[in-house]
Amino acid sequence: MTNPIEITRILFEDFQPQTIHLFYAFGYAAIAAFIYGTYTQIRKYRRGKADGSWGELLCRFWDMVKTMGTHRTLVRRDKKAGRAHALIFFGFVLLFIGTSTITLEYDILAPLFGVKFWYGNFYLWFSLVLDIAGFGLILGLLYMMYRRKWMKLPKLSYARLDRQPGDPDFDRPQYRREDWAFLWSFILIGITGFVLEATRLVWLSGRPSVWDYRMWSPIGAALAHTMQAVGLTPEGAAALRPNLWWFHGLLSLTFIAFIPHTKIKHIFTAAASLMFKDPLAGRRLPRVPDDQKSAGYKTITDLTWKNLLHLDACTKCGRCQEACPANAVGAPLSPRDVILSLREFANNTLNKKELPKEAELDIHGKDVGQVFMETLWSCRTCLACVEICPVAVEHVPIIVQMRRNLVEQGEMEPLLEKTLQTIHKSGNSFGESKRKRAAWAKDLSFEIKDARTDPVDILWFVGDYASFDPRNQKVTRAFAKLMNAAGVDFGLLFEGEMNAGNDVRRVGEEGLYEFLATSNIQSLSDCDFNSIVTTDPHSYNTIRNEYPDFGGSYEIQHYSTVVKKLLEEGKLKLKKKLDYRVTFHDPCHLGRFNKGYDAPRDILKMLGCELVEMGRNRDNSFCCGAGGGRIWIPDPVGTVKPSQNRMKEAGVIEGLQVFVVSCPKDLTMFEDALKTSGYEGQFVVRELIELIDECMDYPEEVVEKEVVAESE
Amino acid sequence: MKILVAVKQVAALDEDFEIRADEKDVDEDFLLYDLNEWDDFSLEEAMRIKEESPDTEIEVVVVSVGPDRVDESLRKCLAKGADRAIRVWDDAVEGSDAVAIGKMLAAVVKKEAPDMVFAGVQSSDHSHASTGIAMAAYLGLPHAAVVADLKYSPGSNKATIRRELEGGILQEVEIACPAVLTIQLGINKPRYASLRGIKQAAAKPIEAWGLGDIGMSASEVGEASAMSRVRRMYVPEKGRAQMIEGTIAQQAARIIEIIKEFKGA
Repeated sequence: MTNPIEITRILFEDFQPQTIHLFYAFGYAAIAAFIYGTYTQIRKYRRGKADGSWGELLCRFWDMVKTMGTHRTLVRRDKKAGRAHALIFFGFVLLFIGTSTITLEYDILAPLFGVKFWYGNFYLWFSLVLDIAGFGLILGLLYMMYRRKWMKLPKLSYARLDRQPGDPDFDRPQYRREDWAFLWSFILIGITGFVLEATRLVWLSGRPSVWDYRMWSPIGAALAHTMQAVGLTPEGAAALRPNLWWFHGLLSLTFIAFIPHTKIKHIFTAAASLMFKDPLAGRRLPRVPDDQKSAGYKTITDLTWKNLLHLDACTKCGRCQEACPANAVGAPLSPRDVILSLREFANNTLNKKELPKEAELDIHGKDVGQVFMETLWSCRTCLACVEICPVAVEHVPIIVQMRRNLVEQGEMEPLLEKTLQTIHKSGNSFGESKRKRAAWAKDLSFEIKDARTDPVDILWFVGDYASFDPRNQKVTRAFAKLMNAAGVDFGLLFEGEMNAGNDVRRVGEEGLYEFLATSNIQSLSDCDFNSIVTTDPHSYNTIRNEYPDFGGSYEIQHYSTVVKKLLEEGKLKLKKKLDYRVTFHDPCHLGRFNKGYDAPRDILKMLGCELVEMGRNRDNSFCCGAGGGRIWIPDPVGTVKPSQNRMKEAGVIEGLQVFVVSCPKDLTMFEDALKTSGYEGQFVVRELIELIDECMDYPEEVVEKEVVAESE
Repeated sequence: MKILVAVKQVAALDEDFEIRADEKDVDEDFLLYDLNEWDDFSLEEAMRIKEESPDTEIEVVVVSVGPDRVDESLRKCLAKGADRAIRVWDDAVEGSDAVAIGKMLAAVVKKEAPDMVFAGVQSSDHSHASTGIAMAAYLGLPHAAVVADLKYSPGSNKATIRRELEGGILQEVEIACPAVLTIQLGINKPRYASLRGIKQAAAKPIEAWGLGDIGMSASEVGEASAMSRVRRMYVPEKGRAQMIEGTIAQQAARIIEIIKEFKGA
């Protein structure tokens, strides 16, 4: 039986002291390069503006650990890549911990305190775990190489929609070189590690304390046997070993030195980005401090340190680009490329010792590295990018901040400018008289309460499209009838209601948003009610998530939740069932923004509809193209619209009868797209409310009784 | 170097408006106020000259005659970059005609002594198209109306302008400066005044001047001194439009019938 103390790995055996010193010198140099790089990165972040995300650090840390531990965000919509990454990640973590324990004993505990633990059973388990870790690492890297080389994934192409071939930053070959350099150096470290291990086993095959326990490092042992089979002798191995050892050692040290300077830094930046993730990113946009002179981001130093950190976290995985509705229809926007442009810009300007002049920090423009205004205006703020990003990059808040600057400079579509002026003047985007806001209610057989004068249980915030658009008015009336039939005590703000401001804010007209929000909050605060309901997901989002920042905290529900409850409680009774084959389109602002995925589906089930999901549903729902104020900006003639793209997706559902929406803007966008994409007659677009309305029959006496009750 | 821009806050009609009981004007409740569209262009022209010569110090002063509510429009001008704003008012001014307003503006110009004076061609609500020119007349300055293009370097004693004439003809004119120019729509692209800008402009003071400040008396202004007065304001009766329905042949037959009717055949 070998003495357990002898069962360990030899370190520096047969090395000359000078050689060891040389190795340590390289080691310190690598650490110095690492520290210097880290310092310049931190200096870069500190050149950004302050951000208040420092609260609840422990909570944030724990959330980050959970996300990374489960690889939850990485396996989404790309299981194989996520799992391969898990192999690389956990392999690397274990190998790193392994190497660290050697340093802990050899360089710290043993020389200082004479403590040794790296032998015997501990060592054997150590070598088994590390062998498996290394094997996993290599497998993961092999898959990634295969994926990059042969799978031809569009999301991995660096060619840009917002640049022309021939432009210096069109397809960025340096990214491709970096990707391959990373993969090759990483896999070589892994492979040479095993070869080195095998060489050591062959070299020391005469030593029982090594050879007898070789199966605890199975990969190394298999390789050693192969080497012996092809004729490698212990002497040959001894001669081979120093060269291999230096190759492996120097490659590893170079790798460490390069971490803060290359894409490898995502090890740290992605983790930090996840840690500083804002759960309300894009749902609640940042306020502009009153004393700040200009709104939004004009220069790279206008970004916060958190924004700059997010830029560095991006691993170019392209999932955001794949999810982006603007990108899908060929608009000059890839959320990834906005982030990467800004990252390059930050690296070129903020990594210098001295900050360049203000003029060189302008991120808007047509030069290399600058972001085009067409790019920024292409965004629908649908949050598909933010939602899918595995490392919590928050694209939309940055895009909106940049738009705020464009708005201040007047760099926008004339039609959008007109609409903003109209909203300022009349309080709605239709340019209608305030007096006409509740005109849709005129033909109802009952009167709706004025919440400004009568206390109500539920205050109904109607929103612009539901109030003024003739097609949507039908839905609005149907919802009023539903509420009335269910005996809900509800009322309106009438001309006291203004555009809720959700889209105005996402356009970037922050001043106008503040005006609208504070006006509405003023109107609401003068009313006596318990909660708010709306049929408009856009209004719903801003009232729910953003009004609190302006002093208006209300309980607000989307109608689907309210109606579902009324049906469950039996206050609304369905007189018949529908046997339609339907599909449901999640509105961005209800679904992705506020996780209201289930209520509309539950209602469809109660109605008896057969729901067939489209490929992109729930959190991956595909924006109709109207968000972020794009409903006020005409799409260029001849281009496919996101709504048409969506119609095609629905069109392949066999026997589809109804394309169900639950958002006024969706109704407008998709009814239009149905006609223009040639599916008219094949299926119809309906508001969920209309389907519910179909199942109701309002007996005359109910209507009359209500009218009587009203007049009492 | 100073450019003075005379502006007006105009009224737009709300839908379903009503005429006042005395039938002299629209009921104030149905009016929405905003800066006159032409003034957006004349202010932009002043701002363009200012911004194209960053080395010359150029002050852009906006002036308006009107009650308190006009401050909102002046703030919009300040938000767009005007350096100062002056509002002239006295209750006696109520009911003044365009010529009297022109006289008041002329008095302001005399006091401010600018190197260039702009006004809009006309206002969108009353469409007199005479205030700017009346002002020029009182000042005795060279003037040009309906200016669609302007070449002027700050401090120069002349400017080259293009005036819009009937039938799409342009007339190029050289004019001695200081001059009064009334600016036509489309001469430039007016900038957007963001609401934050307007809010921030609230910090800039608006100088409130009375008749005394411009050396005028109440007898020179107001309804009594006006050279014309409104007798009645009304909505003319609608014309007889009708939709012709039926097949193409029926529609054609009906049109022929109508033509014959008009010809008196």
